Amino acid sequence: MNSLIELRNVTKTYHLGDETLKALDNVSFTVNPGEFIAITGPSGSGKSTLANIIGGLDHPDSGSVVVDGNELAHTRDNKLSNYRNHNIGFVFQSFNLQGTNTALENVMLPLVFSHMKNKERKIRAEECLKAVGLADRLMHKPSQLSGGQRQRVAIARALAVNPKIIIADEPTGNLDSARGGEIMKLLSGLNKQGITLLVITHDMNIARTAHRIVDIRDGKIMERRG
Amino acid sequence: MRPTDYMRLAFRNIRRQKLRSSLTVFAVVIGATSVTIMLALVTGAKGFFLDQVEANGMLQQVAISAKTDISDFSDASHGYGGNCADCIKLTDAIVDKVKIVPHVTDVARITNDGMLEAITYGSKKLSLEQTTAYDANGILTNNVLAGRDIEAGDKDGVITMTSDYADKFGFKDKYDQLIGKEVRLQTRNFYTGVGADVQPPPQCNGPCKPQEQEQKPTILTAKIVGIVDTSNSSKTIRVPLEWMRGMQQFRQYQMTEADQKLQQESCRNAHGPCNPTQHYTLLVKDMLAENGYGSLIAKVDNSKNAAAAATEIRKLGVGAADAQESIKQQLTIFNILGLVLGGIGGIALAVAAIGVVNTMVMAILERTREIGVMRAVGAKRSAVRTLFTLEASMLGFIGGVIGVAAGFGLTRVANIFVNKQLASQNVHAHDIIGLPIWLILAVIGIATLIGMLAGLYPAARAAKLDPVEALRYE
Ligand SMILES: Nc1ncnc2c1ncn2[C@@H]1O[C@H](COP(=O)(O)OP(=O)(O)OP(=O)(O)O)[C@@H](O)[C@H]1O
Ligand SMILES: [Mg+2]
Repeated sequence: MNSLIELRNVTKTYHLGDETLKALDNVSFTVNPGEFIAITGPSGSGKSTLANIIGGLDHPDSGSVVVDGNELAHTRDNKLSNYRNHNIGFVFQSFNLQGTNTALENVMLPLVFSHMKNKERKIRAEECLKAVGLADRLMHKPSQLSGGQRQRVAIARALAVNPKIIIADEPTGNLDSARGGEIMKLLSGLNKQGITLLVITHDMNIARTAHRIVDIRDGKIMERRG
Repeated sequence: MRPTDYMRLAFRNIRRQKLRSSLTVFAVVIGATSVTIMLALVTGAKGFFLDQVEANGMLQQVAISAKTDISDFSDASHGYGGNCADCIKLTDAIVDKVKIVPHVTDVARITNDGMLEAITYGSKKLSLEQTTAYDANGILTNNVLAGRDIEAGDKDGVITMTSDYADKFGFKDKYDQLIGKEVRLQTRNFYTGVGADVQPPPQCNGPCKPQEQEQKPTILTAKIVGIVDTSNSSKTIRVPLEWMRGMQQFRQYQMTEADQKLQQESCRNAHGPCNPTQHYTLLVKDMLAENGYGSLIAKVDNSKNAAAAATEIRKLGVGAADAQESIKQQLTIFNILGLVLGGIGGIALAVAAIGVVNTMVMAILERTREIGVMRAVGAKRSAVRTLFTLEASMLGFIGGVIGVAAGFGLTRVANIFVNKQLASQNVHAHDIIGLPIWLILAVIGIATLIGMLAGLYPAARAAKLDPVEALRYE
């Protein structure tokens, strides 16, 4: 089976004054299509850095990153932006919704950048909101929604472009465990429909639901089966 | 990203911060309004000037002179002609040719002369500098203050004079009383035109040659039919063109062949010494026909055709100039004024641009996370840059539109006052401060451009943001 994500000897170093900090230290790592992977590790271990590099938001200093046949390590902004738009859905811990826009408009945002017509965007966004159970909250602003609902809007937004991969960086971090459980159910449901899922989490109960747990310590991967 | 999406997003963002956007736009409005008013004033004054020029017909005229090396209208139209040996003289033959040049509707022939030396009314004698004559066919007109202007049917012995002479004769504010009065015009020496008492040379006995005898000044009488103002020229009397022709006649008694025969015959039958009787004939030369007119003014059907007609007339071998060139020089004054005043308004716009920069930098700080999200979901750097540049341009555009509208309102108000002023000075013009469409578009365009330029730096900063940093931004 061809892997969907393939990292080879990826290193990312930050320089703070005289100190050099290896956020990722010679990481090699593959993900197969349709996998659900939990990324765990202590704070500052490099989880988000790894996810951002896979998501095409960040560049590694060295090594190669191939996702679905795209070499990302040295890709220019235009291509990388298109890559993100077509392949990746991001879900963040703090939702990152646009406060002045409605749920519908928030979900439509990625479609604006994929040259879709306004009407089609609306239809697609409605579909996605329906899929996350918010068909009756289209015109609500984030401030009029609960935390769990906000994260579901964010998931709908990640879903809008029909991505191959959803990267969720501590999606339940700002939610109580019941709400968090609902969100995880939603995400794993999407995974069952074929979307490859990378979830960063501190919660071992959540991590255990994944096919595989990737544990990171000081920028190095200590993989173990989930 | 589609253009309409950019517009929609940019407009949304502007509306999001209503107070800040309004204040920024307000600064642009002040700049745009002042530019609008300044330029409207200048274009209004310029238009007024051009209207006046158009009204006195100068733009529809081509001045023609015998000299070909003239370029300026006033240089060509002074009416003295020029003494140049190989010039083509402005004779009636040339006049006829000019008349059939395309677009030329009529021609006025002008000749000025200094042969009248003084004018006397009652006991008051004033020296004369210039006597002018031209066709009374409506091409060259005067503002008549009393009586009437010279008309086509006028014969010898009729003059008009400029008001400065009338004032000197003591008729200030009562020009009417001069109308119909008789004046005496004293010619210079050597005058042999109409009215001159030209005598044959005295009989000369013995071997003598006929002497040049001096011609005394002649006194001509004339009736004043009108007083005109000094807007065309000052210290001028005008006479009918045909009288001028007469005045310029050269008359002299000369011995013709027939006269010589007669002289010889007077001694044929004499025996011994005989003093032959000398016979002379008065010869009259039409010097105006021979030397041509001082200048011609051709009238064309439309001011747009003046330049073309001038070109065509030059092909006749004479000099011709339309008024455009000299008007252009006067228009540069307006253009300089426009630059200066427009520049003052432009300073206000420049200050507004700083406000736009400030607003946009603030907006980008506030929306850093949002920019991160946009980037995460697939916005290219260029899309972010375009979006913020457009947002800044929109601030400029809105300010420009409101500024022009405000400027329009203010020019209407200003016109009310200017109209009163013009009316009190008997000027037939109103609403002279106009707002031509090009000015409206230019001000809106400049305001938009300034907004865009002001947005370039903040937009570049927004586009440069690292998406990961932006998403982490607190
Ligand atoms: N821009 C940066 N400059 C300097 N150091 C950075 C930068 N971004 C990340 N780091 C460092 O890189 C390391 C890895 O960061 P990363 O965000 O990947 O951690 P994480 O595993 O996601 O932590 P958490 O669980 O707290 O989110 C951290 O030590 C962090 O301080
Ligand atoms: Mg993290």
